Amino acid sequence: MKFIVGWLYPDLMNIYGDRGNILTLLKRAEWRGYDTRLIELGRGTTNGMAEVDLFFFGGGQDREQALVYEDLLEHKQAPLERAVAAGAGVLAVCGGYQLLGHYYQTGDGERYPGIGLIDVRTEAGKRRFIGDVIVDTNLADLKPSTLVGFENHSGRTFLGPKARPLGRVRAGFGNNGEDHMEGCLQASVVGSYLHGSLLPKNPHLADHLIRTALMRRGVTDLAPLDDSIELAAHEKILARAQR
Amino acid sequence: MRRAAAVWAGKATGALSRISRLGGGTTLPGDVARAIDPDVLRKLSRDLAHGAIVITGTNGKTTTARLIGWLLEGAGHSVVSNRAGANLIFGATAAALDRAGANGRLRADWGVFEIDEASLERAVDEIQPRATIVLNLFRDQLDRYGELETIAKKIESALARLPGESRALLNADDPRVAEIGLNLESKPLWFGLDDESVAVHELPHAADARTCPRCGASLLFDAVYVGHDGVYRCPNGDFARPAPELAATNIELNGFDSLGMDVNGVRIELPLGGLYNAYNALAAFATGKALGLDSTFIADRFRTFRAAFGRQERLEAKGRRLNLVLSKNPAGFNETLRTAIDLAGGHFFLIGLNDRRADGTDVSWIWDVDFEHLRGHARVVVPGGNRAADLAVRLKYAGVESAPAESDPGRALDALIEATPEGETAHLLCTYTAMLDLRAELVRRGWAKPYWET
Repeated sequence: MKFIVGWLYPDLMNIYGDRGNILTLLKRAEWRGYDTRLIELGRGTTNGMAEVDLFFFGGGQDREQALVYEDLLEHKQAPLERAVAAGAGVLAVCGGYQLLGHYYQTGDGERYPGIGLIDVRTEAGKRRFIGDVIVDTNLADLKPSTLVGFENHSGRTFLGPKARPLGRVRAGFGNNGEDHMEGCLQASVVGSYLHGSLLPKNPHLADHLIRTALMRRGVTDLAPLDDSIELAAHEKILARAQR
Repeated sequence: MRRAAAVWAGKATGALSRISRLGGGTTLPGDVARAIDPDVLRKLSRDLAHGAIVITGTNGKTTTARLIGWLLEGAGHSVVSNRAGANLIFGATAAALDRAGANGRLRADWGVFEIDEASLERAVDEIQPRATIVLNLFRDQLDRYGELETIAKKIESALARLPGESRALLNADDPRVAEIGLNLESKPLWFGLDDESVAVHELPHAADARTCPRCGASLLFDAVYVGHDGVYRCPNGDFARPAPELAATNIELNGFDSLGMDVNGVRIELPLGGLYNAYNALAAFATGKALGLDSTFIADRFRTFRAAFGRQERLEAKGRRLNLVLSKNPAGFNETLRTAIDLAGGHFFLIGLNDRRADGTDVSWIWDVDFEHLRGHARVVVPGGNRAADLAVRLKYAGVESAPAESDPGRALDALIEATPEGETAHLLCTYTAMLDLRAELVRRGWAKPYWET
């Protein structure tokens, strides 16, 4: 069976080591015998977007983010909406998470509309949130129930009624440093501020994303893998926070 | 008076810190002296008989500074320079203090200072260097430095404020450095590589400066040397690599042992390996030329150069050869891996990853390093450092079989030595403090000298 990952702007939105998410998704599907493929969706291309099972959209620097912005609105928005309506999954981290929301408002009050795929809005904050994050997740099928990662953002993201948080922060700032929530869940879209990369140390979340995305191909369960190395790294972050 | 008090207090702190084994006394004296006289570095810099040279950039600062110091000393000058790693303003201040006399005056011909990218503005303002070298700009410790763009802008404003007679020596092959230079009023001296045979044709994943600063189009690379450094041009003709005045050709790479190249008709040979060191040597050569040194003299002097601790430092341990190589960000790591595997034929590795402040507290960047390159070459890889567990995950997803993660430096070293046959070479690629931890263990076992003696 096929498993196709679509990587939005791999050359420009890749600043915080988020490639680990791509490697994790592909490897974990490969290890289970799926026929995996990666489609790189750079500026100007939409080829293959309809076939994608799971999209990944990472964070970029401001300069690069400005360069992908027009392309996203002009070329990617419509095919992305169609794919998600057809059951494709999305993982968006940091800058990608912000761009999928309604808008990003700068410190001067200027608003840049996002594509509104998720019911979130983001405003620039003064202080940058930097450091380890531990999240107690709201996803019922995750074992362990924690997520670990590293955040580095000045945007403050607030969720509207259609989105629910990915979890509650036990350590770190999360979406906005006020409501103790981190990330968002809406239909098959997961948004988060966590780098690390996010998925390698959270293999249970990686599997949740793969399973959800493959539901439309009739997959209901994934074969178990030996995650002792991944979970040892996960545990290490949990243990550090307790000290 | 205030300066003399600052110098004395700083010097006393340095002596105490060495005696009490707190370390080499490389930055604390600077803190103390600057608290008494914030202008102490500005005043001391003015004492330099010929002036100062400042080296900045993400990778290669230490080696380049050491090469330039080596040239100047060979030409009979006395040189004051900050030690490896002590490259914030306090480190430069401490170095100057260390060489100041009883009257509080600095007695040296030249100052050669490596300065952290983020500290450059303040440093050049105080030091007023005769030449500033910018080696490259790669992503590095985003949690500390912020984005590359922020750093680039700081460097540009630092260079723009220097007087006209102060020279900027810039790497033409780095698109982000070139952008800085093209915005400057006074023309920089450009250096770069021109050798197809050492180039690859595809940018690595972790390339940053890949779009045209004018129109935003993706740059076309005719050659890629190190990271995003290469020969590039904008498809719309809006931007291109400046023609280097000093170009290295006929580059010959011999593992970690040596490298050779022709620069404007002069053959240079250096007992350091890796293409990244070709840039460092070229930058030092360009500086020597700009200061009026003779090309043949520079070439002769390079032949007897010795690297700083932890920069391709060779040690012996129980009949195994150890090669300690600082590797601290994706661009640097990709180069040291490439040198160790492709050029030196390495099979035995210890990778050390720490997440202390000096390393960067975010280890996400290991996912930008092409560890996949180890696959099929490495027979043993020991993941070490306080984030060894993260490295083990990274190696698993790179398809590289690794030994169990070992955070304790002594036990990691034991695992490496046990897995490396006698007479073989093991490569220890480590982030800054992981390298210091390993080195401390090597010193404890009598296999290395303390770093302040290197």
